[in-house]
Amino acid sequence: MTTIRRFCCNDLLRFTSVNLDHLTETFNMSFYLTYLARWPDYFQVAEGPGKRIMGYIMGKVEGQGESWHGHVTAVTVAPEYRRQQLAKKLMNLLEEISDKIDKAYFVDLFVRASNTPAIKMYEKLGYIIYRRVLRYYSGEEDGLDMRKALSRDVEKKSVIPLKRPVTPDELEYD
Amino acid sequence: MASKFGLAGGIPERRVRPIWDAIDSRQFKNALKITTTLLSKHPNSPYALALKALILERMGKPDEALSVCLNAKELLYKNESLLMDDLTLSTLQIVFQRLDHLELATSCYEHACGKFPNNLELMIGLFNCYVREYSFVKQQQTAIKMYKLVGEERFLLWAVCSIQLQVLCGNGEEKLLLLAEGLLKKHVASHGLHEPEALIVYFSILEQQTKYADALDILGGKLGSLLMVEVDKLRIQGKLLARAGDYAAAANVYQKILELCGDDWEAFLHYIGCLFEDDSSWSCETINVSINPPKLVECKLAHLTDEVFDSCVENASAFVQKLQSETNNDSLRNPYLAHLEIERRKCLFRKNNDDGLIEALLQYYSRFGHLACFTSDIEAFLQVLSQEKKMEFLDKLMKNSNYLSAVPTKALGQSITLLKTQELIGNMFRLSVSELEGSAVQMVELYCKNLPLSMDLDPQESMHGEEMLSIVCNVLVQLFWRTRDLGYFIEAIMVLEFGLTIRRYTWQYKILLLHLYSYFGAISLAYERYKSLDVKNILMETVSHHILPQMLASPLWADLNNLLKDYLKFMDDHFRESADLTFLAFRHRNYSKVIEFVQFKERLQHSNQYLMARVEASILQLKQSADNIEEEESILESLKCGIDFVELSNEIGSKSLTFNEDFQSRPWWTPTTEINYLLGPFQGISYYPKENWAKERETSVRGIIERKSLLPRMIYLSIQSASVLYKDSIDTNDVVMGVSRGLKPYEVFGSDVIDWLNFAIFFNAWSFNSNEFGQREGKCTHVSWHLVNSLLENYILSKLRSMGPLIQSPQGDLPILVQVVTEPLAWHGVVIQSCVRSCVPSGKKKKKSGSTDQSLSLLSHAVRDAIQSLCSILEEIVRWSQDQIKSPEDNKIDILVSLKTNGQNGGGPGHVFHILETLASSPNEAELGNRISQALRAWSPVDVGRKIITGQSRVLSEFCRICESKIKSLKSLKQQIAQV
Repeated sequence: MTTIRRFCCNDLLRFTSVNLDHLTETFNMSFYLTYLARWPDYFQVAEGPGKRIMGYIMGKVEGQGESWHGHVTAVTVAPEYRRQQLAKKLMNLLEEISDKIDKAYFVDLFVRASNTPAIKMYEKLGYIIYRRVLRYYSGEEDGLDMRKALSRDVEKKSVIPLKRPVTPDELEYD
Repeated sequence: MASKFGLAGGIPERRVRPIWDAIDSRQFKNALKITTTLLSKHPNSPYALALKALILERMGKPDEALSVCLNAKELLYKNESLLMDDLTLSTLQIVFQRLDHLELATSCYEHACGKFPNNLELMIGLFNCYVREYSFVKQQQTAIKMYKLVGEERFLLWAVCSIQLQVLCGNGEEKLLLLAEGLLKKHVASHGLHEPEALIVYFSILEQQTKYADALDILGGKLGSLLMVEVDKLRIQGKLLARAGDYAAAANVYQKILELCGDDWEAFLHYIGCLFEDDSSWSCETINVSINPPKLVECKLAHLTDEVFDSCVENASAFVQKLQSETNNDSLRNPYLAHLEIERRKCLFRKNNDDGLIEALLQYYSRFGHLACFTSDIEAFLQVLSQEKKMEFLDKLMKNSNYLSAVPTKALGQSITLLKTQELIGNMFRLSVSELEGSAVQMVELYCKNLPLSMDLDPQESMHGEEMLSIVCNVLVQLFWRTRDLGYFIEAIMVLEFGLTIRRYTWQYKILLLHLYSYFGAISLAYERYKSLDVKNILMETVSHHILPQMLASPLWADLNNLLKDYLKFMDDHFRESADLTFLAFRHRNYSKVIEFVQFKERLQHSNQYLMARVEASILQLKQSADNIEEEESILESLKCGIDFVELSNEIGSKSLTFNEDFQSRPWWTPTTEINYLLGPFQGISYYPKENWAKERETSVRGIIERKSLLPRMIYLSIQSASVLYKDSIDTNDVVMGVSRGLKPYEVFGSDVIDWLNFAIFFNAWSFNSNEFGQREGKCTHVSWHLVNSLLENYILSKLRSMGPLIQSPQGDLPILVQVVTEPLAWHGVVIQSCVRSCVPSGKKKKKSGSTDQSLSLLSHAVRDAIQSLCSILEEIVRWSQDQIKSPEDNKIDILVSLKTNGQNGGGPGHVFHILETLASSPNEAELGNRISQALRAWSPVDVGRKIITGQSRVLSEFCRICESKIKSLKSLKQQIAQV
C-alpha cells in the first residue's frame, strides 16, 4: 500500500494535507533543498494509491568519530494514514540507511518534552531519552534528545543517559 | 563568513578579522570605520574594497556599494602583479549578486581564470558563476576544462549534468546526450565509477536515448554493485526491462520486489502492467502539469487475446494469493488492493465483471472499512463502475452497516467510511431534503455519542470521528443550496465552530469555515481563519487559492497587501537562492538533484498564481493611490508605465503556465477558484472527476492575466490621454453605448462587467484626446462623458437598491460593488484628476488661448458633471453601508439565532444545532473527561454570531472609508474646476 521512495521537489507541492497539520512545520525552501542536495537518501516519502502522500521523513548524517550519527529532523504522517505504523516504517528505513550504508553509531532526534504521544512512540521504537535540553524550543520549552544505538556501537555507549540536562549552546550540532 | 580567512590580497589576517566580526554581529558602522582605516594603508587592495562594498550594501547603500565594487574590479584587471585569490573574488561575487549584477561577478572570475588558467579553485568559482546565471553551455565548457586538468570523476559529472540541463531545460539538441554518453563511457573504461549518483546519471542519459539494453548491461556488470540497496537496484532493473519491452523478465523482477516489500503498491502496478504487456504506466511519467496526478491508473488491454488475458489473470491472482497468505501483518493493504486491481482490469477487459469488482470492494470494506483512508483507497476502482453499479455497491455496503465492529473506535471508523462513500458516489445529492436532514441529525448524534472515546487523548491528537462534522457541514450547505433557507447555512457555521471549540487545531474545519465566511460577506473573519492555518513558505503556492480570489475583490487592502507581499517575497527569494542550492547539489555530488532543482525553479517561475499575483500587486498599489494623481503617476513610473506588463500580456498566450494549487482540500461547492455552485440555483451535481477542469481553467486564467496585465498601461495612457489602444474598436463601443442607454441588459457583459466598465472609461479618456477639443466633435466628447457617468450610475445604483441587508443575504453583490468602486470608478476618478489638472492653469502653464477656449469650457463642464455624478453615487453607497453597520448588533444576532431555530418542531434547520446545544448545556464530565467538558462549557453560539456581525461590519467600514476618501478627493477637484 505504501511505496517509499526518495522525496523530490515536486512533492513539496503535494504534501499540503500533511503539512497543514499544526504539529508539522513547513520550513523555508533552502532548508528543504539543502537536505535534498546533501542527504537525499535521508529524505523519503511514502505514497499511497492515487499517488497520495501519506507521510515523509527528513534527516541527515553528521558528526565526528564515535558521534558519527543519523539524525531525524522531521517525521510526519497525514491524518488519514495514522495508526497504521507508517512512522515506524519510515524510522526503520532511516535507521537502516544510517546503519548499513553510512555505518553510523547511533540515530538521534529531538522532541518537545510535552509531546507525550510522540515520546511514547519513539520509546516503542527503541529510543532512549539520552538527555534533556533546556529551553530548546524557541527558548521556552525543553527538548528531549532521544537516541537509539546502531550495530556499530557494540557496547551501546552512545545511549547511556546523561545525568544532567544541557543547554542549547552545549549541543554539538544544530 | 568569518571562517573565510587567509592572507587576502596581501593583508594579514589579524587586520581583517575585526571587520568580519563586526559584520557578523551587524555592527556595520564600526565595520566601515575599521575598513576605512585599512584602506588608508592599502588603498589599492581589491579585497579591502570588496569588504567596504559588502558593508555598504548591508547598510542599504547599493549605489555606493556598486561603485566601490567596480573600483575593485578595475584594480583587479589593471594590476598585473596582483594575486587573484578566490577570497577577494568570492567576496566581490557576494556583493555583485546582492546588487543583481551577476554578470559583473562572472566577468571578474573569467578574467582571473584567463590570467591563471590552471587554478582549480578559481575555475570552480567560475563554474559557480555560470550555475547562477543558468549558462549551461559555459558550465559544461568550464567543467570539461577542470576534468582535463585533474581528471576527477566529479568534474566529468558536472559536465554531463550541464549537458543534460541543455537538453532538458535549455534549447540543446538531443544528440548532445550522445556526447555525454561518450564522455562517461571513456571515463568508465579507464577509471570506472565511484559514486552511486554518477551511475544514476549514466542511466538517465541512456534512458533518454532509449538505450535500455546498454543500461541493463551496465547494471548487471561491475558498476551495478555501486547501488547498495537491493530494492533500488531491482526497481531500476524492472523499469529498464519494461521499457525495453522485455515484459516477462520485468514482471519477474517486480515479483521479486514485492516479495521483499509486500506493501509496495507502485511495484504491484508495474508488475501487473508487465504481465499484461502494457506500457501505459511508463508513458504517464512525463505528465507534469498538475500536481495531482489522475487518480485513474491508465491501462491498455485491447491487444490481448482472451487466452492470454486469462492466463495473466491466473498468474497474477495466484501471486496475490501467495502474498496474502504470507503477510502476518494486519495493516498490510497492498495484497488486498492488488486483488481489487485484478478485478478492475477484468471489468475493463470483459465489461461483465462489475459484480466481481463489487464483491471485492465489499471484502475490502470488511477488512479495512474502519480505516480513514478507505474511501481514497477505493476511489480509482469505483471509477470503472457505472453510476447504477456504484449505487448497487452502496446499497450492499449500507446493509453491512448493521454489522459494525465490536471495538468502538473501529465501529465509528466504519460508520464514517459509509458516509464518506456516499459522498464519494454522489448519493448525497440524490437524497430528498428530509432524508438529508435526517442524515445530518444522525451524524451529529453519532458524533456526540462517540465523544467519550476521545476523553483521554492529548489535545494535540486528532479526535475520533472528527471528520463527521465536516460531512455534516457539507450536508447542511447542500440543504441551504436547495432550499435557500439561510438557517442551514448558519447551522453549518455553528457546527464547525463547535468542533473548533472542542479541538482548535482541526484545519479541515478552518478551511470550510473560511469559505463559508467569505460567502457570508465576512471576509475579514475568513482571513482570520486562513491566518490560523499558518500558511507559509511553499504552502503559499499550494494553499493561498482558498483566500486570495476573495481578498482581491475585498476592500481589505492592508491584509491583501500582506498576502501578496509575503507570497511574492517567498517566490522571489527562492528564485534568487535556487542556483546556490543547485551548486550545493553539484558540490555534494548529488547530480540527480541538480536537474530536479533547475526544473523545479522553472516550474515555480511559470506558476499562473505567481504571474497573477505580480500583476495584482501592482494593481493594488494603483487602487490605493487612485485618489492622488501624483502618487498614481509615480507608481506608474516605477512600473515603467506598464510596458513590462503589456509584454507579459502579449507573451502569455504562448507561455507554458503551471498550476500548482492543491484543490483537493476545497469544499464541494467551490471545487476551483472559478466555480461556486452556491451562486447559482440548485441543479444537483453528479459525481465529477475534478481533474477535468484543468484545461478549461488554463484558458480562463490565461485570459484573465492577459487582460489584467494591460491595466497599468491603460491607466497610464488614459492619464496621458494618448490614443494608442483600441483605436479601431468602434464595434465594442456600440455595445458600451447600447448598454448605457439601457437598450441591452447588463447580462451581455457577463462576468466581465469590470473589464467592460474599465474599457468604457479608458475609451472615454481616449476619445477626449483624439478629438483634441475639436469643435467638430466637441459634442461627442460630451456624449462620451455622459455615457460613462450613466453607466456607472445605473450599474452601481441598481445593484445597491437590489441588495438586502447583508445579514440576511449572504454574498450578494457586495464583492462586485467593491470591485466597481475600486477599479473602474477609481480609474475614472484618475482620468478626471488628469483633466482637472490640464484645465486648471497652474503657475507654470499659461492659459490656453483662442479656439481651445471653447473646447476647454466644454471639457470642464463635462468634468464637473462627472464629479457630481461620482460623488452622488459614492454618497449613496456610504449611506447604505452605514445603515448596515449602524443597525443594532443585538437585533442582528437575534436574526441569526432565530434563522437557525425556525424549524425545531417540524422540518427546516435547527435540529442539528439543537443536539449540539443540548450536549453543551450539561456535559457529563465523567464520560467526557475534564478537557472536553470544559471546552463544551465554553461554547457560545452568541459569540459566533457576534463575530460574524463584527466581521461584516469591518468589511463595510473599510469599504466606507475607501468611498469617503474618494468623495473627499472629488470635492476638492470640484473646487478647483469651479475656478475655470
